[in-house]
Amino acid sequence: MITREDVENIALLSKLFVPEEEMDSLTESMQEIVRFADTINNADTEGVEFDNINNLSNVLREDEVKPSYPSEEILKNAPEQAEEHFLVRKHA
Amino acid sequence: MGYIKKIQNMLTGGEITCVEFTKKYLEAIKTDNKELNAYVTVTEEEALATAQKVDEKIARGEELLPLEGVPMTLKDNISTKGIETTCCSKILSGYKPIYNATVWDILKNQNAVLLGKTNMDEFAMGSSCETSCFGGAMNPHNTCYVSGGSSGGVASAVAGDIAVFGLGSDTGGSIRQPASFCGIVGLKPTYGAVSRYGLVAYASSLDQIGPITKTVEDTAIVFDNISVYDKKDSTSCNKNISPTVDTLNKDIKGKKIGIAREYLDGVRDDVKESILAAAEKYKELGAEIVYFDLPALKFALPVYYILACAEASSNLGRYDGIRYGYKTEHYEGTHDMICRTRSEGFGDEVKRRILLGTYVLSAGYYDAYYKKAQNLRGTIIKAFEDAFENVDVILAPTVPMTAFEKGKATSDPVETYLTDICTVPINIAGLPSVSIPCGFNSNGMPIGMQIIGKKFDEATILNVAYKYEQVCPENFKDTKWGVKL
Repeated sequence: MITREDVENIALLSKLFVPEEEMDSLTESMQEIVRFADTINNADTEGVEFDNINNLSNVLREDEVKPSYPSEEILKNAPEQAEEHFLVRKHA
Repeated sequence: MGYIKKIQNMLTGGEITCVEFTKKYLEAIKTDNKELNAYVTVTEEEALATAQKVDEKIARGEELLPLEGVPMTLKDNISTKGIETTCCSKILSGYKPIYNATVWDILKNQNAVLLGKTNMDEFAMGSSCETSCFGGAMNPHNTCYVSGGSSGGVASAVAGDIAVFGLGSDTGGSIRQPASFCGIVGLKPTYGAVSRYGLVAYASSLDQIGPITKTVEDTAIVFDNISVYDKKDSTSCNKNISPTVDTLNKDIKGKKIGIAREYLDGVRDDVKESILAAAEKYKELGAEIVYFDLPALKFALPVYYILACAEASSNLGRYDGIRYGYKTEHYEGTHDMICRTRSEGFGDEVKRRILLGTYVLSAGYYDAYYKKAQNLRGTIIKAFEDAFENVDVILAPTVPMTAFEKGKATSDPVETYLTDICTVPINIAGLPSVSIPCGFNSNGMPIGMQIIGKKFDEATILNVAYKYEQVCPENFKDTKWGVKL
């Protein structure tokens, strides 16, 4: 059974804040979802393996030098930028 | 005849110019989108500039490419250079990609006329389009009902005749389910048949781009043009798939159409009746109906949610407020900034799936959930392979019910997940499946059925779908909206 502490822990791992007042209802809905996921517990998977869908193997290519996207184009999408860099403010 | 060929004949026959024709659609969007809420961005300038090019080409007497001059739309998770691509999430507000998805490159090179980007459940997570930060797209058959999800906007636009065709994405049914709810055609191609380059990732081992159209022929034309090997997607398959459009009208006498008994369990009566009536039609066309068991299906839904959420929790790790999209205003240090950005930027359903995904991948739970689900994926794939030893295609409902009323879908997460029970096994197994309309319920809302095929055998499922469309055209009904040809 997934507990309130578990939910707090996975929220931290997921980098999500859960407001205190939502914690109980979130734990409840997570418990319901995990109970549903638990239905696979008694499935027999003895001797079955799965790797990937079309039996693909690594796709390799020559290491050729190609032009990159211009950094000013990329930076246009950044919420904050300074001197051709992404900007994250220092903790005051 | 499908709409794509008809429109191209109108254009080359001088009946209407592409600019005039495009303007009709843009006008219709202005009026009808207020209620349908299918479009989240309209690209008027882009559309008219492309239409102008098409007219010039026609004036020079040049032959048109297969999708040239056809007004269309893209789901808002398909990257379009310089055009906002938000996945209908606050966290990607304002994001304009600096490159095109391969599918959009293909269409753009053909001068397909992009009318705009369409509504979807946030990050394609949902079954009603209502988790969109723009509010849901409505069903053109009755706007008190949802369009379905997650590609609800594409389905609403196409069924509402404010786009001729659209591309959606299907991770667990997101093309087929809204196509079914809106009474139109939606194809989820074989995994690897269409490049995913530039599709904003939800669950990479399940995601696939495909067409939504009003006729089977149109779906075949669009699929034939977008199913191209792409070295920018390492899961793209380098197979020469022969054009599906050439074999649409092939005789299906003697074809074996399988019905898995499990697929009819728990399906609402009106849906079940429509599927069985379609099976009768197929018998009249000379096909053989074969009933069989597919017990592995009972694990498909939890397997899907475990794998999809695990992949999503990893894929959505990139949204940190630093490089693109939304960023929180007040924060104390980097960790706080990332947490606040994500908590404010993601909606509830996305957060739930990230949390579940993180849980099933975390130490102590990985083997019990993720690993076990992966192994079960192997079991489900094997079960379908065995089934296809005896049948050519599988006939199944697309959704166990018809479109829900607005606001009725989002209350209980697990109950909502159950609506995906017929569609998710196909993504798990990487198979192609087309949903086509096969009737209406007592409220006049469309019912859909899937025709599922072997890997890379889109030709057969579209052939089988086309034959049904020929004998049951009454199920492919126009709505009151949009541009009528």
